[in-house]
Amino acid sequence: MDSISSIAVVAFAALIHASFQLSVSVLTLLGGHSIGSLMSRKKTVRLISGYVMGAGVMTLLTLSFVAFLLLHIFGTDVPLVVWSVACGIAFGVGIAVWLFYYRKGFGTPLWIPRSFARHLTARSKQTSQSVEAFSLGLTSVAAELIFILPTTVLAALILIELPGVWQLIGVLVYSIISLSGLLIVWAFIGSGKSLSRVQKWRETNKRFIQFSAGSALLVLGFFIYVTKVIAEVSGT
Amino acid sequence: MVRSGGVTIVKRGGRRSSEDFNPDKLEKSVTAACLSSGASRGQSELYAKRVVKEVEEWLDDRPEVTSSDIRRIAGKHLQRYHHDAAYLYQQHRVTL
Repeated sequence: MDSISSIAVVAFAALIHASFQLSVSVLTLLGGHSIGSLMSRKKTVRLISGYVMGAGVMTLLTLSFVAFLLLHIFGTDVPLVVWSVACGIAFGVGIAVWLFYYRKGFGTPLWIPRSFARHLTARSKQTSQSVEAFSLGLTSVAAELIFILPTTVLAALILIELPGVWQLIGVLVYSIISLSGLLIVWAFIGSGKSLSRVQKWRETNKRFIQFSAGSALLVLGFFIYVTKVIAEVSGT
Repeated sequence: MVRSGGVTIVKRGGRRSSEDFNPDKLEKSVTAACLSSGASRGQSELYAKRVVKEVEEWLDDRPEVTSSDIRRIAGKHLQRYHHDAAYLYQQHRVTL
């Protein structure tokens, strides 16, 4: 793959990352609590901006860390078995997302431990400073690691094969695109729109989001398996 | 007769200890839901007061209810005043 194609695949991985909803749920709760507690618009925007920045920084750090780790262990010539394992994880998580991502019933509860969901809900309620919102953003991305692991590992594997400048571009492209869901909610809250519209859209389309996120993971894993593993084994 | 206390609220799943019904807490959460749905401050406070009054009336002959009951009944009454706020209020525990 040339550099442009590699960045396009990284961008696709980032889009899949953006379709996962834990961070968006926490941002919706955070926005609701800050508006509900009569915080000024300026402070609310500062708070949600802090949250989005925290999520962005954590995404950037996670991708950089995984890339560094892979580079440190394998160098720029990663064995095919590692690519195969990464593609296998993408298949596995893709199918798991199809089957388990949302819990059954009313609302948009995710298949994460309930104690963890309660903790994040309570934290979003207690957050009143930008620095707390920033750390909540960091935490929400860490909580989502199980879902974003395949996209992060595959993006890191692609990036470490690129020249230095393209690696930097790739990390930035991934981080920015992965925030697109949060940025849309940020714009909604920032412009004073009703949060119920966001939540209604999320609830109405939750099965579609679940299906498309799972399917996109399968497509990503299959594409990389064919273009990297099968192509190299068959010598094409 | 409308009471503002004396009713025991059993917490979800019985994991946390029970507590007395607190109308201020209910009013605050309904107001917050209305504000988040774009209602003005005055409207939000008015709707919240009405909902609390109606929930208190419902509680009148019930010595013990669950917090989910309170949420369900408050949401049902709020629906008459502000549909979006009622939706957000009922969604609060099932957003994440």
